[in-house]
Amino acid sequence: MKTGIKIALSVAMLASLSFGSDQFAMSDADRAMYAEMSENNPADIMVADGEELLSYMGGDEGFAKYLGVSEDDLPAYIAGFPRYIKKFDMVVGLDQVIQAMMADGGHKPLKLKSGNMFSLLAYVKSIANGEKINIDVNANPQMKAAYALGEKTFMTRRGGRGLSCNSCHSADIVGRVLRTQPLPDLGAKGAKAAATWPAYRMTKSSLRTMQRRFQGCMKNALLKVIPIGSKQMVALEVYLTQKAKGSEINIPGLKR
Amino acid sequence: MQRRDFFKKLGTAAAITAVIPAMSFAGDAKPKGPNAMDFDTAVKTITGGKTPKSSKKVKLKVPEIAENGAVVPVTVTVDSPMTASNYVKAIHILDGKNSNARCIDVFLTPANGKAMFSTRIKLGGTQNVTALVELSNGEFLMASQSVKVTIGGCG
Amino acid sequence: MADKRKSLIKIKPKRYKDGEIVKVSFMVMHPMATGMTKDKKTKKIIPAKYINSVKFIYNGKEITNMTVWESLSVNPVFTTYMKINGKGKLTVKYTDNTGESHEKTKKIKPRG
Ligand code: HEC
Repeated sequence: MKTGIKIALSVAMLASLSFGSDQFAMSDADRAMYAEMSENNPADIMVADGEELLSYMGGDEGFAKYLGVSEDDLPAYIAGFPRYIKKFDMVVGLDQVIQAMMADGGHKPLKLKSGNMFSLLAYVKSIANGEKINIDVNANPQMKAAYALGEKTFMTRRGGRGLSCNSCHSADIVGRVLRTQPLPDLGAKGAKAAATWPAYRMTKSSLRTMQRRFQGCMKNALLKVIPIGSKQMVALEVYLTQKAKGSEINIPGLKR
Repeated sequence: MQRRDFFKKLGTAAAITAVIPAMSFAGDAKPKGPNAMDFDTAVKTITGGKTPKSSKKVKLKVPEIAENGAVVPVTVTVDSPMTASNYVKAIHILDGKNSNARCIDVFLTPANGKAMFSTRIKLGGTQNVTALVELSNGEFLMASQSVKVTIGGCG
Repeated sequence: MADKRKSLIKIKPKRYKDGEIVKVSFMVMHPMATGMTKDKKTKKIIPAKYINSVKFIYNGKEITNMTVWESLSVNPVFTTYMKINGKGKLTVKYTDNTGESHEKTKKIKPRG
């Protein structure tokens, strides 16, 4: 198959893809086998690496202290990100907190899009493994605003094809298959996506974060790519994390 | 609908999915790798000409349909006491169509306690995966299963 | 990458007793290049670079030895069992076809 040629993709065309779904439907046994694979996730290496990197900055204890919570409360606190943090007067993701902590500690801060930052973020979020996502989008006006911006960003049609995130991830299109990949319903109640990122992406042989995944979709769907850590990106993460509220965190995830 | 028609209909829209393999085996002459060896030769090389028996003692777990040919999980478990006098000496994992049919040769000892080996392999298309097992008494057992690959693993 | 290749040894369950049979996994970041794929940009063949040998060594004794071929996935995982037989260390050594070698060690600490 020729690669790299992009053609107009309308929602109607996406709808036609549903023909493929039976043909590529995976059996439950197969699904279980792939689920079992996450027991030995190559990204465990990066998580261990992230733990080591954090240890140079005081480890879990230092991170808890920086956030002003006890080490015992840290996992549940992490499960509530992105959060509005007064010190920054912004709604931020965990990676931005790590970056600020590095700067405050006199370290040269890592770029949000660097491999080491992905490892750090994956480790820090894995501290909350087993906790349920407890984001509170009504906690304050800033979180309310972030949620609203996230929803708007998700729904707005942009780019050459006039697609929005919702074009591919809405309830009425979900489950249809785009070249062997069922379109995941990110907007469904209890949808687990936000609970399983950062994740190892088998197709990329690397650890990716949720915002990096958003960028992947933007690029593929010809939407202008929004930078990681920008207000809109964090808002998108807030919006999708709210959709996964109550799901148990399990980092690193394992994705196709 | 036939799979081919499905892809044709999809056409280049597949370009939006970011999972395009760098190269496709489909239609191309099969490239030869550094250790090219076909399945029959590989089996002969391993067994020294003995005929392996199909056996229920060998459990081969592979997906029926691989989500991604680049990462296909394979688990082989052999029913064995793993004592000094009766143990599994080796578990070989073979594929049917890759340029080199051998994926891995695992040599076990009674210190393993259980005869199990698990890994992930690349498959450049639909093919059989085989577990070839050597017991300490010199016998060879085997089990095979077909894996359908929708996206090649050569990317 | 100039630094050491990243790898990890995982033992399941995390706490184990003497005599227990545990699951051991070795994971390593390695390209496992077959020598048959082309670089998307340069269109040049990517030279073969794959792990060709992995050994699990427990307190000096080789318990599992593997001959590895280029068909294993990128960032491969090797999982097997081992019987805990006193405290000490488990070392995993690997080499690849270009002569690169590396080892990773994990302490074995049975409790009870
Ligand atoms: C053209 C269709 C399309 C558009 C538009 C699109 N996506 Fe996706 N998205 C997909 C497909 C297909 C997958 C699944 C890919 C896979 O399984 O490898 C996916 C996967 C995802 C995932 C990972 C889901 C999981 O299981 O963890 C996230 C998160 C995501 N998309 C977010 C977004 C966001 C945010 C936008 C808008 C910026 C967007 N997508 C726009 C097709 C699309």
